[in-house]
Amino acid sequence: MTGQVSSEAQKAPGLIKSTQEFGAGLFLIAVACFFLWQALELPRGSLRAMGPGMLPQSLAVMLAAGGIGLVLTSIFTKGPALERWSLRGPFFIFGGIVLFSLLIRTCGLAVAGPVSMIFGTMASPEFRWKESVIFSIILTSVCVLIFKVLLRLPIPVIGTMLEPFVPF
Amino acid sequence: MEAFLGNLALGFGVALTLNNIFLCFVGCMVGTLIGVLPGVGPIATIAMLLPITFGLDPTGALIMLAGIYYGAQYGGSTTAILVNIPGEATSVVTTLDGHQMARQGRAGVALGIAAMSSFFAGTVATLFIAALGKPLTKLAQLFGPAEYFSLMIMGLVFAVVLARGSILKAICMIFLGLVLATVGTDLETGQERMTLGIQDLSDGVDFAVLAMGIFGFAEIVRNLENPETRDVVRAAIGRLWPTKADFRASYFPILRGTLTGASLGILPGNGAVLGPFASYTMEKKLSKDPSRFGRGAIEGVAGPEAANNAGAQTAFIPLLTLGIPPNAVMALMVGAMTIHGIIPGPQVMTKNPELFWGMVASMWLGNLMLVIINLPLIGLWVKLLQVPYRLMFPAIMIFCCIGIYSINNSTSDVMFTAFFGVVGYTLLKFGFEPAPMLLGFVLGKLMEEKLRQALILSRGSFSTFVERPVSGVLLAVAMIMLLIALLPSIRKGRDEVFTE
Repeated sequence: MTGQVSSEAQKAPGLIKSTQEFGAGLFLIAVACFFLWQALELPRGSLRAMGPGMLPQSLAVMLAAGGIGLVLTSIFTKGPALERWSLRGPFFIFGGIVLFSLLIRTCGLAVAGPVSMIFGTMASPEFRWKESVIFSIILTSVCVLIFKVLLRLPIPVIGTMLEPFVPF
Repeated sequence: MEAFLGNLALGFGVALTLNNIFLCFVGCMVGTLIGVLPGVGPIATIAMLLPITFGLDPTGALIMLAGIYYGAQYGGSTTAILVNIPGEATSVVTTLDGHQMARQGRAGVALGIAAMSSFFAGTVATLFIAALGKPLTKLAQLFGPAEYFSLMIMGLVFAVVLARGSILKAICMIFLGLVLATVGTDLETGQERMTLGIQDLSDGVDFAVLAMGIFGFAEIVRNLENPETRDVVRAAIGRLWPTKADFRASYFPILRGTLTGASLGILPGNGAVLGPFASYTMEKKLSKDPSRFGRGAIEGVAGPEAANNAGAQTAFIPLLTLGIPPNAVMALMVGAMTIHGIIPGPQVMTKNPELFWGMVASMWLGNLMLVIINLPLIGLWVKLLQVPYRLMFPAIMIFCCIGIYSINNSTSDVMFTAFFGVVGYTLLKFGFEPAPMLLGFVLGKLMEEKLRQALILSRGSFSTFVERPVSGVLLAVAMIMLLIALLPSIRKGRDEVFTE
């Protein structure tokens, strides 16, 4: 995102002058191809009476054209290099969210909250077990208090799978 | 004039009931509380807090949402001044001089003048909306499908021109947003489009899900990646009430900022973003000693903050009069209104006057509330900002999850949010700015509908867009703006404004 050209880009020989633009272009072309493949089976209709496929198909073509444009610019003009991609952050954050969505109905917020938060905090290099566990439990109780008791949102605190084991 | 005052009186009658004052207060309070968190802008805040308004009647819900919106806006400015982290694009300018003032021990004055200029701007903008609302609704009746389509094209072009970085990339983002908007059941034929057979996609991608993934979760990952450099002001907050000299320096910047912001805010395509930049540049040009700017000049806070708030408020005009959301925040408002059975557009004012004018009046009330709530609570916000990010992000994450789940009580929505988080992170890595994509998505469905209607009326001829005078003018304006943005000299100027 900073306009800096990293050492990697300077090393890269010749053809591609901006790996970020090049990658961006390829990414868009791939996305466009996916949409085009999905939209091709839809009837196109005519301009007078457009079918459901007309707009998605033409937009996908325009998106692909934009992607090709980016690839071409990356060859002709200098630009920023691709940044380093971290895996730790996305894996634990998005993983934590997926865990939340899997657990919220079955086990309820009482389980989904701490589990997804503890998993999520592992994304930080400063992760500490004890702190994370205590903090996630406190925060879950606060959430139950705010969202369930005060705001009465229909969010399950104890999920369907655990209900039989809870005496009250 | 009489009608104008009558309408305002009606509005205040609605807004000033004890119940609605309370809702406005709560909205401002939680809006600020969430908006103060670094890396959480108004979009994520509103998406997160939408569900708390579900149990209310429509008027109360909208009043509370308006409160949340202003709270989130002001929370962003607080973070900008105290921590030097802009919550969103519009408070970037506030970091320049606001944070410098804070470092000189004048954080209190900076926050005070920000609150007061916002309040003044809010008052003027409220009157603006009240005065312009009616005539613009009349204008809307002249608009056919072709005009609507061209107006939205103009909005999108505007968003491209205002986006940072490469214009080609911004255009690509618009296309991506438009394609995403076509996912789901086709309005006319009822045929499912590109849903991959997934049941939950037959209604299309939910806007709150998309926005939360891209502005909430992707942002967390990005913040974690960059090692924390938060410098919360350690210096004393100091007095809140500006001195006489401060006031004297601020009067005209506030006035100019309000006018600039209010007029830019009306434009479709998120013109409100431009307000603070324009105001800052203007004050710097007009100043006798421009070198003071960037070193804690109070005009550099007062003007842009006024412009920011005025624009944030007049952005309601295109939504309430034409039914076109000019930016992502307004699109969330559309979502909230639809949940309560209100379809935004010119008919709201005629069919539902209490709601319309009540909301206009509550905007003013919200601004007043902000001054009252925030000034005494600054100490609390400072404390909150000192919480380390490793504790803050799990809290943001769980609030987002609960918020998204509660909108439709749907687990797959949470799953999709994670997916769009990955998409958002990928886009950031490739140097795309997601704001134009969201606008493309927001306008996509309406644009397709209007395009198809217009082409049916014209029997498939595109010339209708050029031949109809209003539509033709709108398209011409769009073309001219795009050409100007592509001119090398202007491009340089544009980059300067954004890098400043």
